[in-house]
Amino acid sequence: MSDSKERLAESISALVDGEISEIEMHRILKEVGIDQDQDIPINSADSARGIWQRYNMVSASMSGQPVAKIDFSASISAAIDAEGTHRVSIVSRFVSSTGRFAIAASVAMVAILGVQQLNTPDPASADVIQFAEMDIKSTEQNTGPAIQFPSGFQPSIQARTVSAGGNNKTSQYLVPVVQVPKTEGQQFSEKELRAYMDDIMLKHSNNAALNSNQGMLPFARVTKSEARSSKE
Amino acid sequence: MLVKQLLNHFKMAAFLAAIFAHGPLVAESMESAYDLIARMAKASKELSYKGLFTYEYRGQLRSIKVVHLVREGETYERIVHMDGPEREIVRRGDDLSCLRAADMLLRGSVLKVNDSYAKLEDYYEFYIRGDARIAGRKVSLVEVLPKDKLRYGYIVGIDKETGLMLQSVLLSQSGKPLERFQYVDISFTADLDNFQLSSEMAESEDMEVNKSACLEANQKIEPAPSLWEPQWLPPGFVLSSYQPAGADGQESWMYTDGLAVFSIFIDSTERSRKFPPLDAKLGTTVAVLTKAQYKNQHYAICVVGEIPRATAEQVAKAIAPSSLDRLSTSSQAK
Repeated sequence: MSDSKERLAESISALVDGEISEIEMHRILKEVGIDQDQDIPINSADSARGIWQRYNMVSASMSGQPVAKIDFSASISAAIDAEGTHRVSIVSRFVSSTGRFAIAASVAMVAILGVQQLNTPDPASADVIQFAEMDIKSTEQNTGPAIQFPSGFQPSIQARTVSAGGNNKTSQYLVPVVQVPKTEGQQFSEKELRAYMDDIMLKHSNNAALNSNQGMLPFARVTKSEARSSKE
Repeated sequence: MLVKQLLNHFKMAAFLAAIFAHGPLVAESMESAYDLIARMAKASKELSYKGLFTYEYRGQLRSIKVVHLVREGETYERIVHMDGPEREIVRRGDDLSCLRAADMLLRGSVLKVNDSYAKLEDYYEFYIRGDARIAGRKVSLVEVLPKDKLRYGYIVGIDKETGLMLQSVLLSQSGKPLERFQYVDISFTADLDNFQLSSEMAESEDMEVNKSACLEANQKIEPAPSLWEPQWLPPGFVLSSYQPAGADGQESWMYTDGLAVFSIFIDSTERSRKFPPLDAKLGTTVAVLTKAQYKNQHYAICVVGEIPRATAEQVAKAIAPSSLDRLSTSSQAK
């Protein structure tokens, strides 16, 4: 056996044992394809399928199961060929797509109360937006609704989900990203809500400085200036 | 195949042998890592120091100057933000002897909660990850990993000489750093005795120190005397402070497991009534706001903290009128 065949045999042995890696699996499948292209018969000692068959026989005989040497593969592929293709009716396709649209419309009706400063993008803000995009992707929890924008939204809204200010005045500060499901109509003032969230976060961080062992760290997380700048 | 099986057995045996051989070592390093953390809790309060630290979150950097003094058993702190709009916080007069729930948990004191004992080691694993140099000082790096998915992990750098935490990196559940807190300069030997604690800036906040949350050793933590009560808490979290509703109609609770903290705010004011349920996020701090209605009164319930969003959401969902209140209501009904 050549070197490559030896490695193939090892991979197939792993497949029999159920310990195969995905890469090895792909290699075996590729090898089976090559064998078929070259018309190597299954009972040839070197073919991938031949090795597979022999290993299975050895395994079966070792565990005391009856040993059989039947190859179903040809009849199975013939049966698959003979089967008719499934057809999708136009009506059901329409129904399923409208269903999907309805779900998307109801799930994704999310309003983002974002950062006001980002409405006027300037060249300097490019970096900041990039950071914020990283932010959205890498936050493991908050990704869901924030990036599923309904079609009716302005593209600028996307920039508004960003947690950083865009212009020079505030680019150093983080501003809370607030997500509101827009289901019950907007009876509240965005400004009031933002002020409320700022207030709560500030209270939490001040309290955390006393009640945790992180020393000065909580003071750094939220600052009053942020609260103020976002209220403006 | 036989060869492969044999090889596998051998690998397994070698692996097990390695574990057994290594076992005592692991236990030893865990113990001392925990000791370091416990020492850190004490140091941050009892030492006098002044320094400069940075806080980094997703490419944004802040620098903050800090003075921490201990005089006659009381602590004084001044925190000055060095960039951006001016901000100065002065906090005076916290008792050195005042230990709060988080201090107790970290220092390994016994805390009784509902007749069971809260212990930090039940929820985190501690590993020493070697030495480093931070702010010109030698530190030991300790990795603190949560045993469940309800809280975050940390890498902390602890000064070898004094035990003060000079670095803290918050880790997401997949082990990615979320924020970094790090001293760039610190001195313990400066003439702090002559240091004037007057404010440097025109605009200075004097922060109140709430001493009502101080605990005695072995004290049992009682639930807050409130209409509301969380029916579920992430295991290991205990009540560390409670503020009853004042004129602003806002009640607040703070819970800690020794390292992580979160707050619950419940509002019954007119303005909060109008707010919809929402999620908010500022850096590593998340907030989940939900609404509740009880006896024809609307409430806004907000959970805020440096915890995974899913945890905050679960806590927020589980807040309900306390069993005491429900009992009294049902007896009135009869």
